[in-house]
Amino acid sequence: MSVDLATRTEDVAISDAVERRGRKRGIRSRRTWRRRDYGLLVLAAPAVILLLVFAYGPMAGLVVAFQDFNIADGIFGSPWAGFQNFEFFFTSGNAGRILWNTLVLNVLFLAATLASGVLLALMLNEIRGRVTKRFFQSVIFIPYFVSPIVVSIFLQAFLAGPGGRGGLVNDFFDVFGFPSVSWYTEPGPWPWILTIVKVWQLGGYMSVIFLAAITAIPEEVYEAGMIDGASRAQMALRITMPLLRPTAAILLVLGVGRIFYGDFATIYAIVGDNGTLFATTDVIDTYVFRALRTFGDFGTTAAIGLFQSVVGFALVVVATLVQRRYAKETSLL
Amino acid sequence: MTATTVNTSTTAPTEPPTLRSPASGKEAPIAGTPLRRRRRQRPEAFTIVSYIGVIAFGLTCLIPFWMVVAGSLTAESTLSQRGYSFWPDPLSFDAYATIFAGNRVWLSYGATLFITIVGTVIAVAATSGLAWVIARGLPLVSRPLAVFAYIPMLFTGGLVPMYILVTQVLQLRNSLFAVILPLVIAPFLVFVQVSFFRGTPQEILDSARIDGAGELRIFFQIVLPISKPVIAVIALFYAVTFWNEWFHALLFISDTSSYPLQLVLQNLISSVANAADLGSTVSAPVYQMRLAMTVITIGPILLAYPFAQRYFVKGLTLGATKG
Repeated sequence: MSVDLATRTEDVAISDAVERRGRKRGIRSRRTWRRRDYGLLVLAAPAVILLLVFAYGPMAGLVVAFQDFNIADGIFGSPWAGFQNFEFFFTSGNAGRILWNTLVLNVLFLAATLASGVLLALMLNEIRGRVTKRFFQSVIFIPYFVSPIVVSIFLQAFLAGPGGRGGLVNDFFDVFGFPSVSWYTEPGPWPWILTIVKVWQLGGYMSVIFLAAITAIPEEVYEAGMIDGASRAQMALRITMPLLRPTAAILLVLGVGRIFYGDFATIYAIVGDNGTLFATTDVIDTYVFRALRTFGDFGTTAAIGLFQSVVGFALVVVATLVQRRYAKETSLL
Repeated sequence: MTATTVNTSTTAPTEPPTLRSPASGKEAPIAGTPLRRRRRQRPEAFTIVSYIGVIAFGLTCLIPFWMVVAGSLTAESTLSQRGYSFWPDPLSFDAYATIFAGNRVWLSYGATLFITIVGTVIAVAATSGLAWVIARGLPLVSRPLAVFAYIPMLFTGGLVPMYILVTQVLQLRNSLFAVILPLVIAPFLVFVQVSFFRGTPQEILDSARIDGAGELRIFFQIVLPISKPVIAVIALFYAVTFWNEWFHALLFISDTSSYPLQLVLQNLISSVANAADLGSTVSAPVYQMRLAMTVITIGPILLAYPFAQRYFVKGLTLGATKG
């Protein structure tokens, strides 16, 4: 019918999945405008204005990256500086360290949260009884709703205790005769500590997504496995895990797209201005924030931000293309 | 015995019970569910490991909360001597008394509530409006709008231009709107809502149109009421975001009387001296107060969580299947 034609030509092509859903059922699009349709523009106006100012405004503001910006002259009066700001950053000696930290930490976070999400989902799937399962799911989802600041206070209870000494982990070490560690002055273990924090925060969140994917697996597959005498472990390993691959691939690809954005909130809330830990924890976002606050160097920090956005954008585009390819090959998502 | 049950399982589940003679009818359910029965009799190793794993992870999720609550009720002297313990001994309400005696905590609560409530209302209104127009599929408008809302997910201006915009151009320094406005449109949630709106049955809209309702009337009187579930999801995600927000507050709020809770808490971490400032007395129990302030900050979220968690799970799966 004409409905199909209209949808095909005018549907929003942002996400294949959205498009498919829109085509399947629901509101159709039309080719012509009627006078009363203009009311719709009023509905979109607030969001459009807000996006223009707070999302597109700063994008335009990135011209600061090419200026020798000072507050008094503003964006329109400050002198141009070409690529000096970029040069300054890349020759400052900090660039290598913070780029490396950003990559290493994000790779650790991504791998650990995905792995823990899959593992937790597989284990949750073994739990009998809807109510019990939902209870555990709710419990492990809680940390996602805790702000980074609160996470930082939790972590201090484990690593430092009141007064900066002791802490639960050191108490534990004492029992087994290990020497206690002054965690907040040792940069070495921090990538792992932060990874554990991320798993604590996001493990449950990821498992909710994976568990939703598990629920979508048809029951017959497991019945076939049972008939063949497969154990629960074999079914989890040989049936569920391979069927979760598309979901994992999409989450992985989305994560890779964001690999250049440091997790400012978590890292800054935990590490703050503790300079001894910068060697392993300083990422692009925390560096930019500090540079802006302590030196007030607008030009260089904007240049770093622009560099990060451009590389991040390239990664997101590549990741999206890969994801689309993947989404077309598999029918799960 | 196990061998026979496995054997029968290949045929038994598919056989309707009526094929059996009345005499063996009593045995039919046993033969029909051998696997479930076997599982119940002795759970497999993997199931046991799973229970242990889930319970262990669940405990690590809850223990920090308990420790902070217990610590906030432990007397300062015990806390600094023996560190955190799982049971408050001796019980002390000093920290809470000190915090609530001062007026800072009320101001901060007010600021956080303002940010959360005003922010969520603006965010839900703006997001719903935009999502509906995108979902309607209007020529020349919907598709460009979707792209318009999608680009900020890919590319951001970053910290510096945002800082200049808010402090220099808009002059919003020390205004709570500086915390609210940059966060009111989350493109991800826009698309969650678009995918929900697309499921709105066309028949309802058509019949409203035949009755002479305009687009605005259709949206407010038909679409919004039947979209309550997704609006609850969106509102909860925004509310948590606003409640937990501190980065923009850190950037733009320097007047301590309008610090939101998270920022007060962050100041307590960075400097113990700030704790004394929070209370009315000089000899404030600072460590205990830090923990008490944490409890005060996360309290509302924890209290609301049992009622709200199913919406979060729903929203996440809605968003996740969208991709």
